[in-house]
Amino acid sequence: MRPAQRTDRGLIAPTDWKRPGVRWTTRLTHTALLGALVAVGLGPMLWLAKAAVTPTQDTLRRPLALWPNGIDLANLAEAWTRIEIDKYFLNTVIIAAGAWAVQLLVATTGGYALAVLRPRYGKALSGIVLATLFVPSVVLLVPLYLTVLDPPLLGTSLLNTFWAVWLPAGANAFNVLLMQRFFANLPREVFEAARVDGAGPYRLFWSIVLPMSRPIVGVVSVFAVILSWKDFLWPMLVLPDPDLQPLSVRLPALQRFVELDVFLAALAISTLIPIALFLLFQRMFLSGAGLGGAIKGLGGG
Amino acid sequence: MKPSRIIAATTAAALAALGAACSDEPDDGRVHLAVAMDPGLEQGAIDAFNERIAQFEDANPDIDIEAQEYNWTASTFTAQLAGGTLPDVFTIPFTDGRGLIERGQIADISSLTDELPYVDDFNPNVAAAGSDAEGGLWAVPTAAYGQGLHYNRTLFEDAGLDPDAPPQTWDEIREAADAISEATGETGYAQMTNGNTGGWILTTMVYALGGRTESADGGTATIDTPQMREAVDLLRDMRWEDGSMGDDFLYDWGTVNQDFASGRIGMYISGGDVFTPLFTQNDLDPADYGLTALPLDGADSGVLGGGTLAAVSPNTEADEQAAAVEWIDFYYMEKLTDQDAAVADAEALADSGQPVGAPQLPVFDRATYEQSLEWVDEYVNVPVEQMTPYTELIFDQPLLPEPATATQEVYAVLDTVVQTALTDEGADIDALLAQAETDAQAAMDAAA
Amino acid sequence: MTTTDTRPAGVTGARTGPRDAARRGRRGPASWFRGGGHHSLVFLLPLLIVFAVFSWIPIGRAVLMSFQATNLVTDPTFVGLDNFQAVLADPLLWTAVKNTCYFALLALLFGYPVPLVAALLMSEVRRARGLFSALAYLPVVVPPVVAVLLWKFFYDAGPDGVFNTLLGHIGLGPLAWLQDADIAMPALVLEATWAAAGGTIIIYLAALTGVDSSLYEAAEIDGAGIWHKIWHITLPQLRGVLLITFILQIIGTAQVFLEPFLFTDGGPANSTVTVLLLIYRYAFTNSLGGDYGGATALSLMLAVVLALFSALYFRLTRSWSSS
Repeated sequence: MRPAQRTDRGLIAPTDWKRPGVRWTTRLTHTALLGALVAVGLGPMLWLAKAAVTPTQDTLRRPLALWPNGIDLANLAEAWTRIEIDKYFLNTVIIAAGAWAVQLLVATTGGYALAVLRPRYGKALSGIVLATLFVPSVVLLVPLYLTVLDPPLLGTSLLNTFWAVWLPAGANAFNVLLMQRFFANLPREVFEAARVDGAGPYRLFWSIVLPMSRPIVGVVSVFAVILSWKDFLWPMLVLPDPDLQPLSVRLPALQRFVELDVFLAALAISTLIPIALFLLFQRMFLSGAGLGGAIKGLGGG
Repeated sequence: MKPSRIIAATTAAALAALGAACSDEPDDGRVHLAVAMDPGLEQGAIDAFNERIAQFEDANPDIDIEAQEYNWTASTFTAQLAGGTLPDVFTIPFTDGRGLIERGQIADISSLTDELPYVDDFNPNVAAAGSDAEGGLWAVPTAAYGQGLHYNRTLFEDAGLDPDAPPQTWDEIREAADAISEATGETGYAQMTNGNTGGWILTTMVYALGGRTESADGGTATIDTPQMREAVDLLRDMRWEDGSMGDDFLYDWGTVNQDFASGRIGMYISGGDVFTPLFTQNDLDPADYGLTALPLDGADSGVLGGGTLAAVSPNTEADEQAAAVEWIDFYYMEKLTDQDAAVADAEALADSGQPVGAPQLPVFDRATYEQSLEWVDEYVNVPVEQMTPYTELIFDQPLLPEPATATQEVYAVLDTVVQTALTDEGADIDALLAQAETDAQAAMDAAA
Repeated sequence: MTTTDTRPAGVTGARTGPRDAARRGRRGPASWFRGGGHHSLVFLLPLLIVFAVFSWIPIGRAVLMSFQATNLVTDPTFVGLDNFQAVLADPLLWTAVKNTCYFALLALLFGYPVPLVAALLMSEVRRARGLFSALAYLPVVVPPVVAVLLWKFFYDAGPDGVFNTLLGHIGLGPLAWLQDADIAMPALVLEATWAAAGGTIIIYLAALTGVDSSLYEAAEIDGAGIWHKIWHITLPQLRGVLLITFILQIIGTAQVFLEPFLFTDGGPANSTVTVLLLIYRYAFTNSLGGDYGGATALSLMLAVVLALFSALYFRLTRSWSSS
């Protein structure tokens, strides 16, 4: 992506801004836009927050009324205990953490070897890594599932282990591409100096390249966590054991056993955490979103 | 982000997963067996199940039982089978028994089941569902059901209907549905349509009207019939003329149960034994519950019945298969054949507030079934008097098995029929049924 | 890629010659693995293992399996093009293709102009633009499964449903939403658009800050109005990113699964069966045992179509980032 040129002006000329007609029109448009964004972006979340503490019959009969028959905080407690949101939340975190670790391991070491060490087969290798970008994830669905059932050399099925989610996540060519490009653009004089100081390839990787790569590691990390958090089909297939399932897989299955008010409370709790993370790391999310769009289309599934 | 942290996290994760893999099967010399337990149970039901496990382990100290959440659904079973993630002991519907046996996808335990004292007492029709061509019993029939009409007594009262005099004809069902939706605003009559249940219930209606969905030899699809037409027309009248079928036309077994249990549905057709899951999974208020037999209309009419088989995973060793048959005998069968076991089972259920005495059909003969009910009489806690309209009639109704050829595929075709009938007011039913017959025939040809 | 290595790929020879080594030495770190490149191999090991086992081999296996009949129970047998023929003869395939195209088309109609207009408006916001972006992005953060389950409730077809109550306030409805074969798909697309638009808005916003403001100034000197500037400067400047989001959206929507699976399971009357849902059913919910051959055959056919879009995308990003 082209580096953004920060400007102090946009579409509307600074001279136009001084005209009251333009000022009022834009102010009005922006207020309307803000209203629309609040209604569309925040509205459903606020409704969910309300529904989480509303008795079922109220939610069913007067879904848009504000507390017709009082607040029922017991919903939240029951969601936490009976539905065991805590357990599935922990699973979600474990899955995301493992997928993140595997992706970083593969992308940093692979990117380093391809961009810095440059073995002679490097070009061919990056070629076939990049080629996987052209293969939509749907092709992998069945063969990958069969691979997980009977992985080479291991002799035991990975089904119902977190590895079945973690390891395939590592085969993300987009991450490798990002890392490789970043490493390739690092100043080579630094490497040269390290070499003169007697640093080997391992120390170069560990003490020089990685510390210089924080920005790109951050970007890849955000992608990895978001992708993992959103994934549904794959964990549903390879983690049939409910004790291992993340929230995304467990919630639809629970829907038919749980009363509506408790279920909506469970949905609210599951939404709260990513929203809190988003508000905390807003800048990282928004700056990564541009590239995230690209990943969404190609990388995972 | 410190690299050391990445490595630390990776290592920790790896160790954790390795640990999990190792702790899977402790080597203590006992046989370890994973057995199916219904998902989403209330705590009381889980306690009752664990109590039964404890009893079994006391009697069989060399067997270690572990409960695994499982119930059969068309949409997940194949993946579980291929993935080898089924429990060692699991249940399947009658419809799937023969196919799984022919393809060797469940363990051949016939030499073990041969030893069961009651192996020759099964109702022959019931035993056939779990037997191979030579008559070896690969899967043990544990329960049988006949379809019934479930209704909400409270909604009946609200609509000015007598909950003790449920509808006895299809016209009366239609009238009651209309009255309920007029008076209460809730769904008068609901129909399952999704995940092959649409075909299941539509076939039930066709049977009750005297039709069949396949020829007697199982080779020809007979979808485009007067009885099918009658069933679809009845649904369309309730949907489009009366508006008594509510707003949800994508129900499956689980979601219709949920809405019925929460008092949003007046009547629906499902297995006569659905009271137990309604109560244990959906928190049904027993006072609301009513059950009656389906109206049978015309020559050859009958009630669709089916049942559950307990089967053993093909990935089990001989000692596990022996333990599995022990468990099947203990958990599913003894309560039907042995007074002490029946009492112990009923006591454990009743103590934890779980239903005892919900109506089923006999897997042996009617006398054995009624005997087993007598044993547990003092523990019965379900409102049996609210089910008498069903229990008084069901034994006199001819019981018809589900279609034999490509059952689930034909059900899927019929899902589309019933969904179209209920969501498209202008649907061309003639064309719909003709197309469905072609599609069903193709599915049956592919399976043959 | 922007490597400075000009050596052709795949140069053969087991040992690196002294001249080559000297070149490498001049180039720096490369000289470390003169001995045969085992350091590189060590670093490449995770990549090689993970990609081989979970990407390259499965891709090869997909091709192989599409010509085989296999159900994991009996040994696979080669059946030539039977799987492809069976899939192409499935009447549901054409329904699924039609539905998927319809989804993609609607997603473009709903999801393409709205983020662009929103981003154009937001780029002129002077104060609290962060608030605008955060609000727009909020739905993207909601876990997709939660979003679908929540919207499923919103779409309750009764007059007391959330959306129907809202429609009632303005004297419309009630609509049957998911219960009507004609509007089930638009309802799915509406939710999908809600869930994804925020991401697209942020992409456009980033691109808008990159528009050279001197172009606007030049146009203003010529007396250009606001619409003229949008049409002749802003949109042409954004055409690269617009094309890319377009292609990404096609690739994404062609593989739509979550919405039809959770909202309707393909119903009513197959009106929301998509290609990926069909593949899933072939492989995982077939009661005769998984039809893995048919599933892979169909996914390969879909992949060929999508690979064309991917290749186009890749060309564009490269030319765009180097322009």
